Amino acid sequence: MLTTQLLDVVTTAGVLYIVALGLLIVYGVLKIINLAHGAFLAMGAYCAVVTTRLGWNPWTALLLAFVIGVAIAAVVEWRVLSGLYARPLDTILATWGLNIIVVQTITLYFGREIHFAESAIGRAVDVGGATYSAYRLVLLVIALGLGGAVWLVMQRTQIGIVARAVIMNEELAQALGINTRLVRFITFGLGAGLAAVSGALLTPLISVHPNLGVPWLINAFMLVLVAGVSLVNLAVAALLLGGAQVLVSSYGNPVLGSLTIVILAVVILRFRTITI
Amino acid sequence: MRQTWTRSVPAVLVVLAVAMLPAGAVQSQEKKPIVIAIPVGLSGVNSVVAPAVVQSAELAAEEINAKGGVLGRKLQVMPLDDESGPAGAVKAFNTAIRQHKADSIITMETSAARNAGAPIADKAKTLFIYTSFYEGKACGKNLFVNAWVPEQVVPPLIKYMTDEKKVKKWFAVGSDYAFGRGMIESAKATIKSMGGTLLGEEFQPLQQSDWTAIISKIRAANPDGIIYSTSGGGPNIDFMKQFKAAGLKMPVGSLSIDELTAEAGGNAAEGVYYTGDYFTGLDNPENKAFLDAMKKKFGGNLKTPNSLSEPEYDGVYAYAMAVEKAGSTDTDKVAQVLPGIVFKGPRGQVQMNKQHHAPLPVYLAQVQADGKTKVLKGFGLVDPGNQCPNLK
Repeated sequence: MLTTQLLDVVTTAGVLYIVALGLLIVYGVLKIINLAHGAFLAMGAYCAVVTTRLGWNPWTALLLAFVIGVAIAAVVEWRVLSGLYARPLDTILATWGLNIIVVQTITLYFGREIHFAESAIGRAVDVGGATYSAYRLVLLVIALGLGGAVWLVMQRTQIGIVARAVIMNEELAQALGINTRLVRFITFGLGAGLAAVSGALLTPLISVHPNLGVPWLINAFMLVLVAGVSLVNLAVAALLLGGAQVLVSSYGNPVLGSLTIVILAVVILRFRTITI
Repeated sequence: MRQTWTRSVPAVLVVLAVAMLPAGAVQSQEKKPIVIAIPVGLSGVNSVVAPAVVQSAELAAEEINAKGGVLGRKLQVMPLDDESGPAGAVKAFNTAIRQHKADSIITMETSAARNAGAPIADKAKTLFIYTSFYEGKACGKNLFVNAWVPEQVVPPLIKYMTDEKKVKKWFAVGSDYAFGRGMIESAKATIKSMGGTLLGEEFQPLQQSDWTAIISKIRAANPDGIIYSTSGGGPNIDFMKQFKAAGLKMPVGSLSIDELTAEAGGNAAEGVYYTGDYFTGLDNPENKAFLDAMKKKFGGNLKTPNSLSEPEYDGVYAYAMAVEKAGSTDTDKVAQVLPGIVFKGPRGQVQMNKQHHAPLPVYLAQVQADGKTKVLKGFGLVDPGNQCPNLK
């Protein structure tokens, strides 16, 4: 029971981390909350439906989701968002509008009913005497991998250094000749691509329908508010909030459990964002 | 010039009159159609199933009209959007009654929409046949229900799993909303009366799709079997996917899955037992004829008939038979003869009783590896019990 609960906590944190990662990097660099995050999640999930229909390997859905997510985000950033950065409130409206457009387009094509996507891994495995879902463990590994990859890009590459410069002080970065336009463009594309990938990754756990992104957007939003712009903070926040949710659901009940994430986020925000 | 114009006027009038003649002649010969309004969720949560409901009504009306209609009058079905909720239902019922002068309302709706619409129909003395399964105990002088209530589908499922699958220790899981909780209450009562024990009971918030904590609790409790009732559609598949992936193997009975959801879920719900009054796989001549006629009429646009849409077909037929018997569309007269009308349709024999509900044929089904549903056995006619004891 204890092993299972420990696994529940870390894998739940892993899933939350994967889902919130794209939202966090967009928030970090662009200083906007991408309310279309949930729509990109849904779009990624439908990529898994498409690859299932085409009879492709389930993992190819991740690549397809990333490509389509980046492509749509690129067009939106270029044509719409780039004109709105001076008006942060309007970006909320614009990204929420984008959310509605994407979800309705999916609905028009696929309908409101649920769809089937093939799972790459459906088995359970033995971990320390407890039988556990193999896929949730794989998700944990993927969460660590994605987090590590984004961290490496931020720390060790030219684009990462530039991005960090923009995060710290955009005006100064601009004065130093950094093309902040391009940094924003790339970051938004990357964030949306990650959102779509996380949507595809969720399909073995949940059913695919147009509004599947909404509850995940809300959880990711809380995490990002608490974590600020740090990847490590996001991991801590995911462990803390996800863990609290699992434990309250286990020892109390799931209705209280789902409240916990919100209450904890509010309490933490009241005092400060997590810093280590 | 002017002269030519005046002379051509009578000619034009004659031409126009001749052109209008057939239409006018037919209109005067044919009696006013009987209008059946269908306020249904064309938008909102019911929009997945609503088109199938409308198609059921259209087929029934077409078949009845092809045989000469009712009392020499044609049936006319009038779908209206109730937006799947109470506000839309109020608009749709008012439009149906005031604008279209509907003779009756025969429809499948959410319970909230029905509760909002029923008083409007009642006040206007319009007959209302409700064709959706629901939580039970909705009563009215002019309100009739021809689909199942929990008393008809829950006990047979629990009994089957207790007797055939040897489930003694149960775990109950549900979505945290009225219908989910109501179905689980009904299941618990049956489990108790069968001498079974309940090891645990958990409810999940509607918007939460991660069932991890509940699944770990099920594992820790180690029951012989599961009975669950989520909200319709997706949550069934969410739960079953995660249940299977966790390596749990005990038998599962569902009070919320349906054929379309099971099929959309692929292999996720494989092995799940459930009961209902209608399945496309029912092996009887009426169902075969119904499915063939639906395919012929709607072709590529056919929405797969299901347990929420088929009773609409029965409802239109039962209404037509009652009007025929009453010799009038007068609501009081029709309501008087409706209990006692027997219609043998795709579900089997459906008869309205004195309490305005219907004893129904109930069947047991199991989801197969490809997501398709196989009917395993029939329980015969199952009575809805005491729904409206005050109706006489």
